Amino acid sequence: MIPRHFQITIALVLLAILVSGIVIIRMTHKEEALTLQAAEAAPAAPMLNGKQEHIQLLLAYDDDQALRWRPADVFLPADRNLRAREMLRSVLAQYLQMPSPHPLAKGADIKDVYFISDDTMIVDTTAQFADGHPSGILLEELTLASLIETLTANVPGITRVKFLVDGKERETLAGHADLMSFYQTAAVHELAKEFE
Amino acid sequence: MHWSKTGAALAVLALGALCCARSEVSKTIALQAQIPQASATPLQTEPNTPAGIQKHAPEFFVMIDPSHGGYDKGATFGGKLVEKDITLRLAREVRKQLEERGIAARLLRESDIDLGLDRRAEITNEQRASLYVALHAGRPGRGVRVYAPILTDTQQTSAGRFLPWDNAQSSSLSQSQNLAHAVSEELKKKGLTVASLGVPLRPLNNIAIPAIAVELAPDENDLQSLENQKRQNNVATAIALGIVQVHSQIGARQ
Repeated sequence: MIPRHFQITIALVLLAILVSGIVIIRMTHKEEALTLQAAEAAPAAPMLNGKQEHIQLLLAYDDDQALRWRPADVFLPADRNLRAREMLRSVLAQYLQMPSPHPLAKGADIKDVYFISDDTMIVDTTAQFADGHPSGILLEELTLASLIETLTANVPGITRVKFLVDGKERETLAGHADLMSFYQTAAVHELAKEFE
Repeated sequence: MHWSKTGAALAVLALGALCCARSEVSKTIALQAQIPQASATPLQTEPNTPAGIQKHAPEFFVMIDPSHGGYDKGATFGGKLVEKDITLRLAREVRKQLEERGIAARLLRESDIDLGLDRRAEITNEQRASLYVALHAGRPGRGVRVYAPILTDTQQTSAGRFLPWDNAQSSSLSQSQNLAHAVSEELKKKGLTVASLGVPLRPLNNIAIPAIAVELAPDENDLQSLENQKRQNNVATAIALGIVQVHSQIGARQ
């Protein structure tokens, strides 16, 4: 026969184990959620030091379906690729703020920008940039024209631009605008003029 | 018995290789309009092709593309209205208006099916359509937008009788612009707000005939206007009248 006080002790110990187990599981889930949230909110690339420069950004305005040049002071590093990436991130930063002239999904960012030849540039975006982009011919074309024109206005020598999404080719941005082709900057300039 | 099994296996392998090769070719190049890609094989209904595509094409017909479909809903409006449904309804109305004016028309999809952009272009080229009209619905703004294709990458050049897939539209650009202009004018006559634009849009650039896209833009305060029967009828009639205008310029295909 087990003494009563011993039974009570064992029951309390088991209860304590059960409660602490539940608490640990809940804390683990909370931690994972916070980590995921932080990863989504964090920029795709580290912030860089650089010299503050005055540049022009071509921004899309959905309300009147227009593209307009806006001045901006941006910290730009010396490296050509990194400079281009920071310029594009400045454009996206304008779209991600509230209220936004051209809303994009949270997590829309530029992962990488690099030249594959003297005049051809690859722009690699995050998956959220395309996955969460509002669907519509005009909305998608305004985004691409805004990014390409900002690049060509501030980085001399670019004649062709190609977009990747999370390192891979994608057929369209959100069902409409072509992402498979290389964009000739001269043709995009003509397209952008229609909206300026 | 052993030999017959080996033979059958070889035949299956050869067939598989042929299918792979055909798929690869169709991805990379488009044949000129005069010699569409499928000219070597008889036109036939494939499992993933839309219903209603006939074996023999009439001399002049319009291919109407209700954009999106299946898992690809396109744009959504107010949660319930989706682009793929709006475009299908409008496409049926455009076909009706064209047929009333004596012009044959076909839809690239008759129901809610998945159809990739490349496949839409392939069917249109294979079927030797005379004109291609893609229908869309999207924000922002209001009224109707008419898009003519523009080529953003002109570095690719044709190789003999083959055109680069991305620039298959190059030989029809001016006719596409004429068609867009004619449709825009008819829409204006109906009192609709119209914007005419040139955009690099798929699958327009992969299509080797005159091609345009027409996009309905909803009034933000009245999203149901996209489903308004009178409005759809007005837009469809204007598209049909624009096509009638350019019909004589383009002529019937032989």
